[in-house]
Amino acid sequence: MRTLGIIINSAYVRGLIGQAIFTFAGIGLVGGIRSAMGLETNVEPGVVLGAILGVIGFLLFAGVLTDWLKWIAGKKTPLRHGVPEGKPGWSRYLNVDVNHKVIGIQYGYTSILVLLVGGIFALVFRLELAQPGIQLLDAKTYNTLFSAHGIVMIASILLGVGAMTNYLVPLMIGASDMAFPRLNAFSYWVGIPAVVLILSGMVVGGWDTGWVGYPPLSLRAPLGVVLFLMGFYLNGLSSIASSINLLVTVSFMRAKGMTPFRMPIFVWAAVATSLIQFTATQTVGVALTLNVMERVAGLTFFNPTNGGDPVLYQHLFWFYSHPVVYVFVLPGLGIISELLPVFSRKPLFGYKWIALSSLGIAFVGFLVWAHHMFTSGMNDALRIPFMMATMFVAIPTGVKFFSWVATMWEGKLSFETPMLFVLGAISVFLIGGVTGPILGTIPTDLHLHDSYWVVGHFHATMFGGFIFPFFAAIYYWFPKITGRMYKESLGKLHFWLMVPGFWIMSLGQMQIGLLGMRRRIVDYEAVLGVQGTQVLITIAALVIGWSVLIMVYNLVSSARSKEMAVTNPWGSRSPEWQIPYPVPEFNYDVPFEVVGDPYDYGLDGSEYVHTQAAPVPSGD
Amino acid sequence: MDEQKKAAFRQGNIVVLLLAVLTIAEFAIAIVNGSTVFLFIIALIKAAVIVQVFMHVSRLWREESH
Amino acid sequence: MSAYTKAQPGSHHEAHDEDRAHELPYATQVRANRLGLWLFFISEFFLFGALLITRFYLWNVPGVGQTRPELSQELGLITTSILLLSSFFVYRGETAMTFGDRKTFTQSYLLAALLGLLFFVGVVVMEWNLFGLTLNMFGIEWFGHLKPSDGVHGGVFYMMTGMHALHVISGVGLLLIAWNRGRKGMYSVERHWGVEGIALYWHYVDVVWIFFYPALYLIGKAV
Ligand SMILES: [Cu+2]
Repeated sequence: MRTLGIIINSAYVRGLIGQAIFTFAGIGLVGGIRSAMGLETNVEPGVVLGAILGVIGFLLFAGVLTDWLKWIAGKKTPLRHGVPEGKPGWSRYLNVDVNHKVIGIQYGYTSILVLLVGGIFALVFRLELAQPGIQLLDAKTYNTLFSAHGIVMIASILLGVGAMTNYLVPLMIGASDMAFPRLNAFSYWVGIPAVVLILSGMVVGGWDTGWVGYPPLSLRAPLGVVLFLMGFYLNGLSSIASSINLLVTVSFMRAKGMTPFRMPIFVWAAVATSLIQFTATQTVGVALTLNVMERVAGLTFFNPTNGGDPVLYQHLFWFYSHPVVYVFVLPGLGIISELLPVFSRKPLFGYKWIALSSLGIAFVGFLVWAHHMFTSGMNDALRIPFMMATMFVAIPTGVKFFSWVATMWEGKLSFETPMLFVLGAISVFLIGGVTGPILGTIPTDLHLHDSYWVVGHFHATMFGGFIFPFFAAIYYWFPKITGRMYKESLGKLHFWLMVPGFWIMSLGQMQIGLLGMRRRIVDYEAVLGVQGTQVLITIAALVIGWSVLIMVYNLVSSARSKEMAVTNPWGSRSPEWQIPYPVPEFNYDVPFEVVGDPYDYGLDGSEYVHTQAAPVPSGD
Repeated sequence: MDEQKKAAFRQGNIVVLLLAVLTIAEFAIAIVNGSTVFLFIIALIKAAVIVQVFMHVSRLWREESH
Repeated sequence: MSAYTKAQPGSHHEAHDEDRAHELPYATQVRANRLGLWLFFISEFFLFGALLITRFYLWNVPGVGQTRPELSQELGLITTSILLLSSFFVYRGETAMTFGDRKTFTQSYLLAALLGLLFFVGVVVMEWNLFGLTLNMFGIEWFGHLKPSDGVHGGVFYMMTGMHALHVISGVGLLLIAWNRGRKGMYSVERHWGVEGIALYWHYVDVVWIFFYPALYLIGKAV
């Protein structure tokens, strides 16, 4: 009974109620004004205002804005820490909390939940594609589902990146929390109404523009497109706030002796990610805003019949949306570099090169956006430099691959679940990487553009760069977060289902792409000869879906078990593994000092973090 | 203390005068030939002055707080 | 999952409000705030930069070069001067607070907020002509020169001024908050990050307009 009371009174429920009230108030307000002024019936301006107010309503009712409102009123606002009086510990996770570990876990379970939603969308339209002709879905529903699949997965990935950076970075650098704890909470909570907006866009007419929202199609799409664009915008806002927070945290809150080149390598990846997030995100924000304003306020930017130019949208859009791919994969590649030395018991090969290659990828990523526009009628002379720049991405990425191979070389490898996922990630990201230049090269891109080859390539980079490493990270830090060990047998089963499932899916997509299957289309001709592969892809996707459910079961049931895990099961040198469970509210009750390099595994007498506390038993 | 305060205020007066002169210069250039390059350079100078004096950008590299 | 519930005896993580041992020293927190705010400015630079790019992209007519809409030059110059002046008063106010002169600080911030509001009126009421007014004085039409539906000129002009006006009005709000807190005696010579941060924000809004003013009013051939 008390449990139910806490759930009903949680920030999620309160926020959703607030969002509903404010949304309808906004719609009603605009509707009233418009009918009083005798304007024609058009719900869209009302929906836009309602959506904006709804987000404010969510944040207000959830309690995210309370401290700032007090500040406006001229009151003192001390930070509240710890569990609220008389409430169970788990209630923290359902309410606004400023502790970075709580926020990191909130990001984590939200990411997995949203991942499941986006995955279900994919499975539904995969079933439709298993046969030529129209069976399950009409074209409109199909279009909405694949569009929503794209943006919902992007939301999930951004949340997953937030989970890893929020939970890990302060622990890894020896900070007590993030530099701006309230802003950190805001970054997480603003993502919830964003997902709500996207999902409600599917109900009110859906949209058929894919996740890119190109005009002029987006100017003609049903009402749902507006909610999608605004939800996308809010995800960006969350991204910007959290990346600035992270950069400041890493700048000012490192432990004694934690010089830049002694930080755990994941921190470098998080910094490179943040550098992209806090700059490029603004340009997609502009693209989305202009798109909404053109629809709702009658301004002209993109519609060629009024003198606008749709190619401008593509420039603004891809200036963010190419680099954002590195926002998705850089943290994942950081996880790979972080875990490989632990499971190889050898120093990380070329630490500095890996650290700088993350920055290199981030930098080159800003110079290549127009490779998505080779077929858009862009100036021909610009295509060659963008093609060349695209090829340069291979250099810093190659540095990482060579370093990983050299790290494993002659190491004492052990193959627990996190290591399996790391190895899976490397192989999958490799195939994602080498299928890219074919799309970055103008002549081949002209042929393969908008085909399923693109879908295969993209899913390989996302699985290799994010999904596999994210799962590796979840298994790896699970004992740190819950104090329990996951079930190794189920973890291995997850891996051995997901790997073949993924390979069949991705290679199948590439194959039918070469045969001429276009992406984003509900139907195809039987004479294309792709139906057999389509069936295989659908089965593979179902297998992947089931394997993820196995992971969810594994995590939930293991977290509830009585048996405690050892403190440092992997024999890691990283500071967060040197303190026992549970991690104190402010992370390190006994401060530590960094006295050596982070990855000197297997070197006699080497020391990374030096603390006065008693050494913890190691599982090594 | 008082001298420092006066000097700081004086610096503000000089900057606002400079900004006024540059704004009028922009206006004049626009009437005469509308050179985009000149206008952009003047805008850059104005922004640099504000960033340097009004926004104390150098405080970013200073150890103490005020 | 109750990872942080059980208090360890002897450790201080059963935290209360007065327990601030883990917090950053004020000087470090201010440096962190400063860096955070500047990073926010860099971030916003990409927002306003993208709008400027939109302007130069769409107002470029093949064969003619850059164009601009026909606006009231007098109104543009006046609003620009008002914003510069308000930035000047914010500088005075912040400088006064660093020397403990609370009266000058509150007066300057209030004045700057009013000037900011005047700028906002100049854009929204006069340029946009929100209330459909007309006034012809000194041979100048003071209200409404461009409609939002006037092709790419109207679209870009309303978008850029609108996005800037949003920052102006939030800046006015912040200045008034600082003024109110200052009136209540809440800042000191040692601790007045609020005063400094809000001043930085207001100057930034001014810097943005320094680039928007020539882009909207001066550059290109009037059509
Ligand atoms: Cu790209």
